[in-house]
Amino acid sequence: MFGSVADTGYEGSGISGPILIPKRFVWPYGGRRVFLSGSFTRWSEHIPMSPMEGCPAVFQVICSLMPGYHQYKFNVDGEWRHDEQQPFVSGNYGVVNTIYLAREPDITPAMLSTETPGRSHMEVDNDVFRHMEASPRMLVPDLEVSRHRISVFLSSNTAYDLLPESGKVVALDINLPVKQAFHVLFEQGVSMAPLWDFCRSQFVGVLSAMDFILILKELGNHGSNLTQEQLETHTIAAWKEGKLQRCRTLESNGGSYPWRFVHAGPHECLKDVALKVLQNKVSTVPIIHSSTEDGSFPQLLHLASLSGMLKCICRHFKHSLSSLPILQLPIGSIPLGTWVPQVGEPNGQPLAMLRPNASLGAALSMFIQAEVSSIPIVDDNDSLLDVYSRSDITALAKDKAYARISLDEISIHQALLLGQDANSPFGLHNGHRCHMCLRSDSLQKVMERLANPGVRRLVVVEAGSKRVEGIISLSDVFRFLLG
Amino acid sequence: MHLQDEATVMGFEVPKSPDSSYNNVYPGNEDEARDPPMVPSHLQHTLLNYPASIETSGTLPLPQNVILNHLYIENRESPRSVVALGFTHRFRSKYVTVVLYKPVQRRGNTSI
Repeated sequence: MFGSVADTGYEGSGISGPILIPKRFVWPYGGRRVFLSGSFTRWSEHIPMSPMEGCPAVFQVICSLMPGYHQYKFNVDGEWRHDEQQPFVSGNYGVVNTIYLAREPDITPAMLSTETPGRSHMEVDNDVFRHMEASPRMLVPDLEVSRHRISVFLSSNTAYDLLPESGKVVALDINLPVKQAFHVLFEQGVSMAPLWDFCRSQFVGVLSAMDFILILKELGNHGSNLTQEQLETHTIAAWKEGKLQRCRTLESNGGSYPWRFVHAGPHECLKDVALKVLQNKVSTVPIIHSSTEDGSFPQLLHLASLSGMLKCICRHFKHSLSSLPILQLPIGSIPLGTWVPQVGEPNGQPLAMLRPNASLGAALSMFIQAEVSSIPIVDDNDSLLDVYSRSDITALAKDKAYARISLDEISIHQALLLGQDANSPFGLHNGHRCHMCLRSDSLQKVMERLANPGVRRLVVVEAGSKRVEGIISLSDVFRFLLG
Repeated sequence: MHLQDEATVMGFEVPKSPDSSYNNVYPGNEDEARDPPMVPSHLQHTLLNYPASIETSGTLPLPQNVILNHLYIENRESPRSVVALGFTHRFRSKYVTVVLYKPVQRRGNTSI
């Protein structure tokens, strides 16, 4: 396929037969005479690099390398230097740059095919390179290759890999009164906790922010059986039982209600855990281990979420980003996330937003009915002010605020202020509430930001005006990556 | 005849121990009068006292292995309705600290 490779004289291993991949090395930091040396020249030969036309400070050369892992370094005017902008490691030869070349040569840019037989590989057609890099269209083969690689990675790693070296997890007895439970969630700074049933010696479910939202809605509902006083003694068990009864009397939607206890074992592969999260529309899956066949003596190990899995993916592919070509595309040109109609492709769901003076009751109704997990708060120009998420509801446990407020009279703005009191060491608010990005940011950048714990979604805004253009959540990204 | 106490070579004789090494005070009885501590003091190095915050996001420093598999109860004032139980154990090569919040049964009620 690459018959004209022999012209260069700089083949990696000198063995004919295996397919070599042309790789362009660039030294953009100036110099008079620049040479390249690396593991592919057995660190003995120095390949001269030539300056680019019009940019005499930028040197380049193309070498054909075997697929796999290589190290290299530049000799600039007699001094050995490495490129700090590219991946590098400390090794036997000091600090060296590293590169990993994927095995399939068919994803290299099309211009280096044999259709240009007369062109020596030492000359570079800058225009063609620039054209290739400027195109933001998503190519289907790129998408399939990236999806396949991520699927392979997720299938070959287990939930055990998500556990931190030393982790902490909070659980609640199912006979705890609901009121106490929310105080615990708030103090511990978590938004959900698995429920332990002492009688059955099993974990039987989870208590999450959504439960608190439904309870507050019940309290506000004048015809309901639940009053403030009953909240003191109403246990989680009674609440869950009541919820189940109400679910049975209503139309059930095919049994996909997330009130079955969704959990996973530490030896299940990450792909199965991710699918459980997406299919059951939960945010967290407890990882529980039982050493016996019948599941007795369960050990709660971790609360797995998509953000932990995304962190694993980003860490694994950090030094081989070229193997996931779609990562470099701007997020605006990829069909994922929810967008305002004028900007992106509609995905069938309108982007729910609210003004700061909207009532908290309206926000809670939106959480329940629109099944969204967060709502951007915007001003009259649709510029982003803040974000109200489902997990923010636990802030109402502070000073028992939920007992004093009326849902329809308190505005979202006031509810947010409740949670942002200074001197509050608890809660999920520490100044980093709205995570924003631009439409032109790459998918890789978006994924890296979503991989931070505590960041569940990014709001896409217009540069400068901060007008809301879209929302991208963790589940959007995973649905896209897993196809 | 080689029946000697020690093998000696000219110039390499083993020096005698200094007399002060035989003058140690015998242990007195006052140490034995005190009770041993109720609980081994290394157990205070539990991970359960680390404050919860979103920055650590559920991660803790590595535990010392002497505190593993000991069940701790939260130390709060007496009229309390919720109590926290916690312990740290090892699962394969990683450590997990689990905290369970339980309701406190009031006096007079039968507890399970």
